Amino acid sequence: MPRPSDSSQPRFASGCRWGTQGEQRVVLFPEGMIRVQGTGQNILELCNGQRTLLEIVTTLAETFSGGDPTKIREDVGSFLEALQQKRIVDY
Amino acid sequence: MNPNPLALIAEVTHRCPLHCVYCSNPLQMVSAKAELSTGDWVRVFQEARSLGIVHLHLTGGEPVARGDLKDLVDAAHAAGLYTNLITSGIGLAETRLKALVDAGLDHIQLSFQDSRDGPANWIAGTKAHAQKIVLSEIIRRFPIAFTVNLVVHRQNLDHLDEMIEFAEQLKPDRLEIAHAQYYGWALKNRDTLIPTREQLENCMRIVEAAQERLSGRMRIDCVVPDYYARYPKACMGGWGQRLLLIDPSGNVLPCHAAGVIPGMNFDNVREHSLEWIWRESAAFQRFRGEQWMPEPCRSCERRAEDFGGCRCQAFLLTGDANATDPVCTLAPTHHLIESARQEQRLDGEQVSWSYRPNPEV
Repeated sequence: MPRPSDSSQPRFASGCRWGTQGEQRVVLFPEGMIRVQGTGQNILELCNGQRTLLEIVTTLAETFSGGDPTKIREDVGSFLEALQQKRIVDY
Repeated sequence: MNPNPLALIAEVTHRCPLHCVYCSNPLQMVSAKAELSTGDWVRVFQEARSLGIVHLHLTGGEPVARGDLKDLVDAAHAAGLYTNLITSGIGLAETRLKALVDAGLDHIQLSFQDSRDGPANWIAGTKAHAQKIVLSEIIRRFPIAFTVNLVVHRQNLDHLDEMIEFAEQLKPDRLEIAHAQYYGWALKNRDTLIPTREQLENCMRIVEAAQERLSGRMRIDCVVPDYYARYPKACMGGWGQRLLLIDPSGNVLPCHAAGVIPGMNFDNVREHSLEWIWRESAAFQRFRGEQWMPEPCRSCERRAEDFGGCRCQAFLLTGDANATDPVCTLAPTHHLIESARQEQRLDGEQVSWSYRPNPEV
């Protein structure tokens, strides 16, 4: 499965969703969970199945002023690809 | 202070329409009339959440055999738990599945015994295979996660390729290739289930190739069976470390097999809070920490990683629940595993199973 394209609309895969473990925000998936914080959390919170990858990158670049959009695009793409392989995210 | 548990395994009933020869339920099952009520489970789920538990595994026996399953899913969801349903699928029609999904079910794990009808029904001891295929198609219409769980052993590993292709067609998100573990009926049937070394090596090779081919489409999880490993598994993530199991009568156990260990008294959710049981009960405290470990575990550099393996397996095979799990190559009793392994394929093997019965009413 290739990396997401600019027009991809990433979202949680079926049965994957946010949860909390104590104070910590986690992503819940079958029989497991991952803790996300910082950038990972920011990215996933923007993945609502409507926003395109391009819109997500633009929003992140604005939020983190001084961020290089090309680098952000690269980082977000590889982050989402890794989660897609685990069947946590679809796009 | 011990960490909080992450998962609750809720064995809601020991009733089941199947008689699988690899079943790891205890040989002494809980009768139907001794089962916890709906109200009991509702309270337990809330206590579980307060204890920090995140994942709930609804299992059994066959959880679908509980008439109140929808109420259980409702309560679990209301308590904020992620709900995994571990099922044979028998008795789960579309309207019932829809009700469970509407109640908040997150994930369904459906067992398959083989790719082929005859052999699958032979392992299950009943005609179940065709219904599971029908159910798989229905599951795909709902927005929940779907895992196919394929139990493998000597009698079906020779056509693993075909079984993986079969699973693919059902379009699950995930395929779990589960090597039978030897507890309960699986232990009775161990000598017929244990794979040959050659089958195991082929298995690892086939799984690796399939994982690559299916990357991003279907996730495949497969763990080497401990009888062929060098070191033991960190059973349950450690005794009383990560999860707890509640049996149909409300007894709280550190794992599904702990009842085999002599001198174990389990506390019940009808009498004690889950928190107290987790933190203070004798059963949970028994193998926490390191003071119970004999050598070689006590000074082994792996002791914090695998805790000396499985206590139940150590007891079942050596008679001593404190002993190093014999699957460990460093265990003084490792020869028990070596002689149990099936190094060679038997031609024209005669198979006689012990089938899992139903509990008494």
